Amino acid sequence: MKTLVVIPDRCVGCRRCELYCSFKFYKTHNPARSRIHVIRSEPYIDAPIICLQCGLCIGSCPSGAISRNAKTGAIVVNEEKCTGCGLCVSSCPIGMIRVDPVTHVAIKCDLCGGDPECVKGCPEEALQYIDAEKAAYYRKLAFAKLFEKAAVALKPFPR
Amino acid sequence: MKQLFGYAGKVLRVNLTNKKILRQPLREDIIDNYIGCVGYAARVLWEELKPGIDPLGPQNKLIFATGPLTGTLCPASGSHEICTKSPLTGAWAEAHSGGFFGPKLKFSGFDFVILEGRAEKPVYLWVHDGEAEIRDAKELWGKTVHETTDVVLEEIGDPEASVACIGPAGEKLVRFAAVMNDKDRAAARCGPGAVMGSKKIKAVVTNGIQGISIAQPEEFYEAVTEAEEALKKNMPNVHTIIPLGTIGLVNIYNSQGALPTKYGYTGYFENAEKFSGETLANTFLVKRRACFGCTMGCGRYSEVKSGPWATPPHEGPEYETAAMLGSLCLHDNLEAIIRANYLCNSYGLDTISTGNAIAFAMECYDKGLLTIADTGGLELRWGDSATIINLIENIAKREGVGDLLAEGVRRAAAKIGKGAEELALHVKGLEMPAHEPRGEAKSTALLYATSPRGACHMHPYWTGSWDFNQWTGGLLELGLPWPAPDRFAETGVGKGLAVKLLMFHGVIQDITGVCRFPALGKEDDCITPKRYARMLSALTGREINQFELMKISERVLNLEKCFNVREGLTRKDDTLPKKMKEPIATGPTKGQAVTNLDGMLDEYYEACGWNKKTSIPTREKLEELGLKDVADELAGMAKTPKI
Repeated sequence: MKTLVVIPDRCVGCRRCELYCSFKFYKTHNPARSRIHVIRSEPYIDAPIICLQCGLCIGSCPSGAISRNAKTGAIVVNEEKCTGCGLCVSSCPIGMIRVDPVTHVAIKCDLCGGDPECVKGCPEEALQYIDAEKAAYYRKLAFAKLFEKAAVALKPFPR
Repeated sequence: MKQLFGYAGKVLRVNLTNKKILRQPLREDIIDNYIGCVGYAARVLWEELKPGIDPLGPQNKLIFATGPLTGTLCPASGSHEICTKSPLTGAWAEAHSGGFFGPKLKFSGFDFVILEGRAEKPVYLWVHDGEAEIRDAKELWGKTVHETTDVVLEEIGDPEASVACIGPAGEKLVRFAAVMNDKDRAAARCGPGAVMGSKKIKAVVTNGIQGISIAQPEEFYEAVTEAEEALKKNMPNVHTIIPLGTIGLVNIYNSQGALPTKYGYTGYFENAEKFSGETLANTFLVKRRACFGCTMGCGRYSEVKSGPWATPPHEGPEYETAAMLGSLCLHDNLEAIIRANYLCNSYGLDTISTGNAIAFAMECYDKGLLTIADTGGLELRWGDSATIINLIENIAKREGVGDLLAEGVRRAAAKIGKGAEELALHVKGLEMPAHEPRGEAKSTALLYATSPRGACHMHPYWTGSWDFNQWTGGLLELGLPWPAPDRFAETGVGKGLAVKLLMFHGVIQDITGVCRFPALGKEDDCITPKRYARMLSALTGREINQFELMKISERVLNLEKCFNVREGLTRKDDTLPKKMKEPIATGPTKGQAVTNLDGMLDEYYEACGWNKKTSIPTREKLEELGLKDVADELAGMAKTPKI
């Protein structure tokens, strides 16, 4: 089984993944309709945030519109059943399910059915679709980065 | 109105005097003939600005411009341009910047923001989702770029919006003040920051959720893939620009004798290694950073953690900054260069003009034209880090000798007198950047002399790519002379024609709204006019080939030229500083000088179809380009020479 994973520190923040994603689903260029989201924050941070396909949102859906695809392992939204109520949005701990501003139904990463477009489009190879066992290391590495010693300047930053 | 694929479709026009906000549809006649971005802005400013106006007066207008390819998958699409009449040169001004502002402006529903008039009190503009509001900026006035950005984002409550703002330098009307976006990206050349300062508008902030529609999605996808693949083969990118950033050019330029050193004295600096890209990579570099949609990612992100030049993490320094605040000032301290870059960004200064002005002051001091009495007790010694840092502060705040330098080197030299004019390195008032034309290539010398915005290596295109690097950029089918002649050759080898064609290639990026870098390369390893035409056709649904695209480029460049003619600039202004006609003193290019600029100008004007005596485009040329109204207006003017 393969899974989508971010290799930490590779992203340079170009956001081409967002463009590829919105293009794949809607034939448009619109980061607001992308199912992957790059966070750029000062200082230091350029990080693609992806759905981890954990499935927490399944139980939050009152319409039974969210389920797991057995083939890819992806959590997918049935757009016919979705009423756009948005309960799933608050259920996601990392903010990776949202209500589309145009269609008003929930959207999230479905791993492009097993051939993720963002992986093909990433110029830095920061996004990879690899064996889940191998990917586990990078997931742990990303998590471990939370414990990285903060880079503190010896002097207060001058303004 | 029919749907315009690739465009947001609207122009936001804000009159700051009466606070009127207009949302206008794009003018299709301009789109058809000028594509967008700089082309669109050039037409609007030609029609709406009266000649002779004060660039810092309320009659001037300032346009934030994007093109159809901005914000799309076209590689390096994170651009916008700011077009206005320059307070530095009094001529055509366009300042290019990367970052995120351009794409986000399009996502907000507007291709252009036109600022008119002058606000009574400081304001900023919040543009989002097809709406715009003018907000009070009393609390922001006086704040640095970095502070302003943080405060504004907090105030509007959208942490992902993009802020383009001025710092204290723009407020104080420093004539080379920049408009900074996303904190450390600069639209700096020609002083658009001073124009914003004169209009009392501190910032334009934008974000939105509107997408960019594509006429032929599958074909566009394929065209983008073709462009991406070509760039992967571009070896200068792979070996220098991507791993080292533009600052990686320091060692290369120095080894070729083209690194401007000691303000026009030479093209070689023995200490260049100390502030090279290689040294940066091993010392203060934190990481790489890309602008929106870029497959290259030339941006550096650096930090100096301690010491006298401690500097917070921020983007830079670029090659131009390192050379202008380094070798040009005979200065080799990388930490101080990083600090200087941060200060320029923070105050909102053009690092090129700032470095040039500082080196100019050092030379004047060296030669006794400026004394310690003029500088208020400050010694201006070559290569002194503290002097550079102090002068940046002084210029930004217009204090002491900084007040003089803030006028730009042309005005400063005129004020100093005593022969200072002969020392100043500028063309049309725009300070010369860090490509020493005598050491690099004579095409660069011709470009400096003729670029509509003044001495510039990148506007409209880096012509040195042809005779210095021996690249063609995909222009062979368009008639580029090949093989390229010796870089030091001047006349009789087709440089006039080549510079013309290379300029047209550059205007393609200016009118489609993308970065220049992917267009630099060999015949097949860059984004060629043909590839831009393919992407543009698929995006907009309007079939256009590379020949038609080059014709539109020619129209835009002629219009920019005519803008300058209307302001009274002619052949006498297409010149070079006196020093460029004197030999380089040391290094690999020792003895090189520009000996026959007039001959090169003749060849260039002839290739362009312009009058050789005056440099003014002929009526036949303008009519051929569909610019009859422009020719009529010029002919009707009392003061300009008849065309």
